[in-house]
Amino acid sequence: MNSMNKIYKNKAQFLLKVFCLMVVGLYLLAHEGMAQQSTISVSGIINDETGQPLPGATVLVEGSAIGTTTGMDGTFILDVPSPATLIVSFISYKSQNILINESTPLPLTIQMVSDMVSLDEAVVVAVGYGTMRKSDLTGAISSVASDDLRQGVIASTEQVLQGKVAGLAVVQGSGDPASGAVMRLRGGTSIAAGNNPLVVVDGIPGVDINTIQPSEIESIDVLKDASSAAIYGSRGANGVIIITTNRENKGKSIEYSGYVAMSQVARHLDLLSANQWRQYVRDNNVTNAIDYGGNTDWQEELEQTGISQSHTISFNNGGKDSGVRASLTYFENEGVVKTTRLDRLSSSISAYQYGLDGKLKLELGLNANQDEWKPLDYRIFERSYNLSPVIPVTDENGNYTSVGGNIYENPVEIMNNRSVRNVRNRLLSYFKVELELLPGLKSSTNLSYEFNSTKGNTYKPTYAVMEGQTENGYAQKTLGEYVNKQLETYLTYDKSIENHRFNAMAGYSYLNNVYEGFGAQRRGFDTDLFLYNNLAAGQDFRADDNYSYKGEATLISFFGRLNYSYAGRYMLTGTVRRDGSSRFGANNKWGTFPSASFAWRISEESFMDGTRGWLDNLKLRVGYGITGNQEGIGEYKSLEITGAVSTDRYYDGVSDTWKSGFGTVQNANPDLKWEETAQINIGLDFSLLNRINGTVEVYQKKTSDLLYTYPVPTTQYAHPYMLANVGDMTNKGIEFSLTGNVMTRGDFSWDANLNLSSNQQEIDKLSNDQFQTDGVIYSGSLHGLPGMSGMYSQVIKEGYALGTFWGPQNHGLDEDGKFINDEEDSDLGNMQPKLNLGFGMNFTYKNLDASFATYGMFGQKVLNATAMVMNDPSRLPAYNVPDDFLTSGINDDPTYSSYWVEDASFFRLQSVTVGYTLPVKKLGLSNARVYVTGENLFVITGYSGVDPEVSIDGLDAPGIDKFNYYPKPMTVSLGLNLSF
Amino acid sequence: MKLNIIAAFLALVLISVSCTNLDETLYSQVESKDYGQTSSEISTLVGGAYATLRGTNDDISISYPTCEYVFFLNECSSDEACIPARGTNWRDGGRYIQAQQHAWESDNVMLLSAWRYCYLGINKINEKIFTIESAEMGEEAKNSVLAELRSLRAYYYYQLLDMFGNVPLSIEFGADANLPNSTRKEVYEFVEKEFKESLPYLSEEVIYGRMTQNVVNAMLARLYINSEVYIGEARWQDCIEACEKVTGYIIEPDYFTNFLTENQVSQENIFVIPYDHKEGTVGNYLHSMTFHYEHKYTVSSTGDYPWCGNGICAQPGVYSMFEDIDRRKESMLAGDQIHKGTGSVIIMDNGEPLIYTEEIGDFENAKDNEGVRLHKYEVKAGEQWERDHDWVLIRYAEILMMQAECYVRLGSADLARPFIEQICTRAGIETPSTIDMDFLDDEWLREFVFEGTRRTVNIRFGTYFEPWWSKEANEAYTAIYPIPQTELDKNPSLQQNPGY
Repeated sequence: MNSMNKIYKNKAQFLLKVFCLMVVGLYLLAHEGMAQQSTISVSGIINDETGQPLPGATVLVEGSAIGTTTGMDGTFILDVPSPATLIVSFISYKSQNILINESTPLPLTIQMVSDMVSLDEAVVVAVGYGTMRKSDLTGAISSVASDDLRQGVIASTEQVLQGKVAGLAVVQGSGDPASGAVMRLRGGTSIAAGNNPLVVVDGIPGVDINTIQPSEIESIDVLKDASSAAIYGSRGANGVIIITTNRENKGKSIEYSGYVAMSQVARHLDLLSANQWRQYVRDNNVTNAIDYGGNTDWQEELEQTGISQSHTISFNNGGKDSGVRASLTYFENEGVVKTTRLDRLSSSISAYQYGLDGKLKLELGLNANQDEWKPLDYRIFERSYNLSPVIPVTDENGNYTSVGGNIYENPVEIMNNRSVRNVRNRLLSYFKVELELLPGLKSSTNLSYEFNSTKGNTYKPTYAVMEGQTENGYAQKTLGEYVNKQLETYLTYDKSIENHRFNAMAGYSYLNNVYEGFGAQRRGFDTDLFLYNNLAAGQDFRADDNYSYKGEATLISFFGRLNYSYAGRYMLTGTVRRDGSSRFGANNKWGTFPSASFAWRISEESFMDGTRGWLDNLKLRVGYGITGNQEGIGEYKSLEITGAVSTDRYYDGVSDTWKSGFGTVQNANPDLKWEETAQINIGLDFSLLNRINGTVEVYQKKTSDLLYTYPVPTTQYAHPYMLANVGDMTNKGIEFSLTGNVMTRGDFSWDANLNLSSNQQEIDKLSNDQFQTDGVIYSGSLHGLPGMSGMYSQVIKEGYALGTFWGPQNHGLDEDGKFINDEEDSDLGNMQPKLNLGFGMNFTYKNLDASFATYGMFGQKVLNATAMVMNDPSRLPAYNVPDDFLTSGINDDPTYSSYWVEDASFFRLQSVTVGYTLPVKKLGLSNARVYVTGENLFVITGYSGVDPEVSIDGLDAPGIDKFNYYPKPMTVSLGLNLSF
Repeated sequence: MKLNIIAAFLALVLISVSCTNLDETLYSQVESKDYGQTSSEISTLVGGAYATLRGTNDDISISYPTCEYVFFLNECSSDEACIPARGTNWRDGGRYIQAQQHAWESDNVMLLSAWRYCYLGINKINEKIFTIESAEMGEEAKNSVLAELRSLRAYYYYQLLDMFGNVPLSIEFGADANLPNSTRKEVYEFVEKEFKESLPYLSEEVIYGRMTQNVVNAMLARLYINSEVYIGEARWQDCIEACEKVTGYIIEPDYFTNFLTENQVSQENIFVIPYDHKEGTVGNYLHSMTFHYEHKYTVSSTGDYPWCGNGICAQPGVYSMFEDIDRRKESMLAGDQIHKGTGSVIIMDNGEPLIYTEEIGDFENAKDNEGVRLHKYEVKAGEQWERDHDWVLIRYAEILMMQAECYVRLGSADLARPFIEQICTRAGIETPSTIDMDFLDDEWLREFVFEGTRRTVNIRFGTYFEPWWSKEANEAYTAIYPIPQTELDKNPSLQQNPGY
């Protein structure tokens, strides 16, 4: 009843408003007719804050239809009645009211002041197959402009988003210059089928994100909820990252940007030094200690100061009819561990041209880059912790020492004497046609070709020993490549009828992926001279020395979207996509992914009139949609496959030869399909006091048909395992982000941004009538640690989140230094953070600018397996131990328990930058800025290991610090940007 | 103009949109329905069945019959070998102490490994039989292929019969997954029937590593000699008759010819699992499970020998059962271990000399050097982790020993003497004046030490239930293992073995 009243009330207000307007209009008409007024010709110029003229600004006489817009030079002339109030407005600037009478000095010079809030609202957001103004959005989409991306040395493009988007965790588990970070949106959706968001570059879905260098990025939009991501159907469930490059920049410019950076290991383990070791041996009268006379810090022996540099040159010439842009980047990234590095040469060129009176637009582009890097055998870290500090690196003859033992090989020797060289080439080319067929009706067609190839070269010399194994020289060459050919074509139609605005889009997409590769290896070399360049020199032939493969997949889609908005107040969006994939089983070849969302700009309602003084925007959004994840289904996974497996080779006593045995390697599963996520999202956008923008999102994601490889009875199935859609999982969470101007005083301005997100995950179901797990599914392998072969630290269990540590609870140590552990295993916490935080500030004062960015993860657990194994009384005196082991009182075998599961909450200073813009206009330069950036200068954490941020990827060892940690660098870089 | 453009454009869109073909094209793989059409394709399917004998490591169970859980299970529960905990290592949740004391928990991973090892092989063979039965090929060729597969399957069931007794008989591809237990007697009868029915179609020749008439007769002999244990009915005479049908083999003059890296030269080995690391075989690394970490320097002055884990060793008392002149004593390593480079005793990382001792102080906390090591197969510098010697399952000496035992049991010790003489002479020891059950028990150990068969002999001789080092007396129900808990959880029709 109340709501009915409200509607009537609103309607009444509406009618009243219409009536008033009519009265005023009539009055004005009458007034004009009756009174004779004087008219003056007002001329003026409208400038922006920097004094540049603003073309296209609107000048309107208040309460009349008299008005004009400024020309290209920012000037206007308008005959106005006197006296009059001129309203000067321009999108993303604050409107000004100027009183005009005969005594007003002319011409007017009006300086506009930018309006941060409406600037934000006017941002154009890529939504997939089109763009929308931010104010019209109905789904949960976060946008990051290039200026707000992470600064510093970026080796892998996804790193630019670290800490920048509420709900998007970017976890960097390693300091390796060649390793990227893991992106996880809203906790992920999958157990085993992949949790990587889909990357879309300039409208091309599925592109390798490293094809695009950070310097080319104009903006990044992250489609977080299902109502936004459903337009990407069976690939949208883990979110969509849409990258828009700067290929359409207007104007002429030449730009250079570059930096030189120095990195050092931020932190390493505190282990006994040689002196501490000797002290221990003396104090405890250890009789069986062997002092090799060395004084070695094995960790430091692996480390170096890494020098990195990056240089980008680009030129741009973009106008109304045509434009071209080209850029070239050289990037050299040296690791903080010796021998590790990444070298990258990257280039892009793009051009556009209009024709048919602006109705036709052609566009083409090419991105090509090459990475060359040296992977490292991470097992050297374990060895650097194990080896006693009294062992010298080399003996008196300069030969590497070797004390023996499978995890005690000399890590310096391993690091220096393995030759590895990997090369990756990426090529992306595209051709786009946009044609306006009828007013409002536009067709777009994108053709793209993406090629990616990775070449591997490895050589281990004849004397190399690893885990007790020698192969008398080992050389390997591998090549893997793939080609994505894609056609996407769609029609869009825009129509406005008074306050009603429609936008419709319908399209078709065809994606063909072909991958192939081969590899060859040989062992048994008589000389180390050839490295990996002459495989034939190896004399030890093995059955699996050569291999090759090829596969193909096709994805065909139909999709459409309808937007409707009424008076900028109510917005409705509906999308649907129908995806057919060759990977899906015969019974599920096609899937449909719909979504609907609604937004209401409450602040535009008349009953909010009283809040206009402080509330600039308040928008409520509600969306629901269904998306899919098909990452986990490889090609041919639904078919019954017979294959020659290397483990099936057999000796044929009749022919006296070894042959490949064939057998069923995969069961048929015609029901195989995508994982499906239904997500509801409620969001609230607000803008306050003309300087604060914020968003709150609440969501629930329900994923069903989770893919997992189940054991099946071999009585009925030819193969003991089968990939099937069985489980369910729920994620729910809340996100909060805030950006704003804290203060502006004269030349000083201070901005801040904050984002917080919290996600809670629970696996609801893992089995059904047909498929059951083999008891518990274990994850977090401890295999390979002493005394823990075949043991696991985590379970994947109904009612728990992925990465739940499961083991005995510890109650300290008894008087003998033995662990007091429960008999029964229980939940020891989870590796997923309870809270993610990103926080940063920017300051400018005249030509000086400064900024810092931080991020943190809170509430997650990490198993410090490194400490678990190293705090072992049996290690001394032969192997090294942590400093604090001597005071820990531990006198027990390494045992997995809650003792070693630590809270790994941390807060990291990601970067601090101070820059100075040089006054260079006189030199013919348009801009010159020098800056210093410091990265990872500190991390606040209670975690006792090297670094609390460990990899969360995969099921093998998520959230486990297990000897394999490439230390993170602390980096200082000095950079220069020039444009002219 | 404009209309033309629109028309051309729409035509293009329609052409492209009409493509909705999602068929999969295969390149480097083949759908099962398209394979198994030619005789050479069929022989690769049969060959794959033999490959299952090597077992697998599927992360949960390391199902190797040569060196890990399947082998450990039967060796460590016998009186000849053990895996004591050494500091941190080889505790592994207590799985080895259970084997030592026959105090089984049904979730012991070694049990699961052995169970899966057999059933993976069995079910794979069921499926191959199913495929081949419907293949178009000559009757004679088909019978011979099927006989090989059926007898191989019977060998797996023989192992289940011996280890778990009352196991489900899965003999048809596509049958109910939740089969109930068959009785040990039913399994016994099935094994005998399968071996016997296959015999006529198998080759009479000696074919290395394949199921032949000789191999099946040798296996029948094994079945009969243990018949009293399995079904409570002695069949000593049947055992002798089956042994007599095994022909074409000799007792190799040198005992260790059978255990050379290139032991395919042996004319004594009847059935083996062939291995060759260059052919990609996996799971044959027993010596790396037994030697000390520093042992490699006894093999190579530069330590060019795979990593070793210092695990399984002989139980105290085993080494002294051999006379010093017994050639077979070299199946074990004891005493000072000499560095090939320096000529002096190797010093372990704890500063103590590496001397393998027969005594083991404490099963729960053995010293690194305690325990005599397994040293049966040839050890070579520069070997790979994956060893190349073929794994011996049955050799002709067993045929002789079985006949000798049966004659003794039948009260004709005189008839046993010629067989025992061959064994003792080759070993370089005197044949004793009296051949009795005690002698036979010891001789079984000496001849076949660390060949994975001792547990069966212990049970047949009843010693299995008596106390020995670090083990108390056990009840009779321990003669078979408990059925793995994971299998019971999965299959509601399956009953646990009595006593567990």
